[in-house]
Amino acid sequence: MASTVANKCLSPLAFITRRFSAPEFITQCCYHKKVVDHYENPRNVGTLDKRSKNVGTGLVGAPACGDVMKLQIEVDDHGKIVDARFKTFGCGSAIASSSLATEWVKGKSVDEALQIKNTDIAKELCLPPVKLHCSMLAEDAIKAALADYRLKQQDDQQEAVRASS
Amino acid sequence: MLSLDTLRILCTSRASLHHSWLMTKRQFVYQTVTCAAHCMSTSFPKKDTWHSNMDLNALGKDIKRIYSTYPASSIRKYCTGQVKLNCWNCKQPLDTTPAFFCMSCKVIQPPEEDASYFKIMDCDVTFTLDTQKLQKRYLQLQRSLHPDNFSQRPVKEQEYSESHSALVNKAYQTLLKPLSRGLYMLELEGVRTDEGTDSGADSGFLMQLMEINEALDEARTPEDANKIGQDTKGKLAVLTEAIDAALLEGELQAAKALLAQMKYYANIEEKVKEKLSEFM
Repeated sequence: MASTVANKCLSPLAFITRRFSAPEFITQCCYHKKVVDHYENPRNVGTLDKRSKNVGTGLVGAPACGDVMKLQIEVDDHGKIVDARFKTFGCGSAIASSSLATEWVKGKSVDEALQIKNTDIAKELCLPPVKLHCSMLAEDAIKAALADYRLKQQDDQQEAVRASS
Repeated sequence: MLSLDTLRILCTSRASLHHSWLMTKRQFVYQTVTCAAHCMSTSFPKKDTWHSNMDLNALGKDIKRIYSTYPASSIRKYCTGQVKLNCWNCKQPLDTTPAFFCMSCKVIQPPEEDASYFKIMDCDVTFTLDTQKLQKRYLQLQRSLHPDNFSQRPVKEQEYSESHSALVNKAYQTLLKPLSRGLYMLELEGVRTDEGTDSGADSGFLMQLMEINEALDEARTPEDANKIGQDTKGKLAVLTEAIDAALLEGELQAAKALLAQMKYYANIEEKVKEKLSEFM
């Protein structure tokens, strides 16, 4: 509100002064308050037992910025994700993206979780273009966790088949 | 009069003989083509066909044909591989590249748009660099190029000075640290790091990184943090040597993978410093 009023008053001056910075530009170069919220009050930080056959672990890294992200999901016998945990070492946007990802996967089925797109995460957190790769990292972490869970389930089934024969 | 096509072929062949370690021929060929354009004329009607027909093996056959039909003296006359610019003030030709000041009238020149940082800082294009020499060169350049020296000069010269000074700063910062230096060297060869996830990364390696980061997070004493710092420094030293070897061999993809590993460890090193400052 205040920034639009200030902008209206000051916009004629923009033609006169060469170096003029509008208030709205200043707010855009800070982290969005949603990202700050996830950073200061992260949800679901922690670890699940990766040896458990109901737990899928996704471990991804981004070489350009050196961020590392681990996302774990716990799936019940009906294929529904009942718990999720993450651990991310990187920038605020990466931490917020993975925190949001764990919030979103909870309560979803394995197939529904596969539908989560990085664009949805980026939109929700109002990520600037330079930080879009963080949401991509979170999507890849979800997919990696789901793939790991699927692999464990397949191995489990193969073992059961071998045991019965 | 040599045709434009012939000229391009000649410049490429001679240039490629001198710089055999460069892997990405395309970028290099492009540079020599640009030089040829500057040497000859401003109009360049067949530029598009040239860029689409960059088959250097076919050129090899053409080279043999041309050397046999044209006298040697005319070939040497045209191919210099250097762009000849004139001073904007006195119109005298500029002899040095990069030319910061005109030799005749001593007036500052505009910075070259695509000058390599290595050329600006007068260093060889190698991964191992003498940082003392780099620093000396940086101070020497800033002493003559800094905008403070041009406060009484015309606006045009002040602007050139600002551009030069900023460019020298950027070149110095990039070449100072091994990581940025290595990444810049890859960039010169046309190899860029992707923004996305490292799908090729070894999960064992990522697991190790996770453990180091977690240990650092849980460190309760400066000694614990220092130990992690020392381990990381050791790993960085090993990586630096490996990257140097890879770049010397021209193994760009291997260098790229090693530089990605270096980025992770460089981040850990930064976090160690932050952690130690927390303890103070």
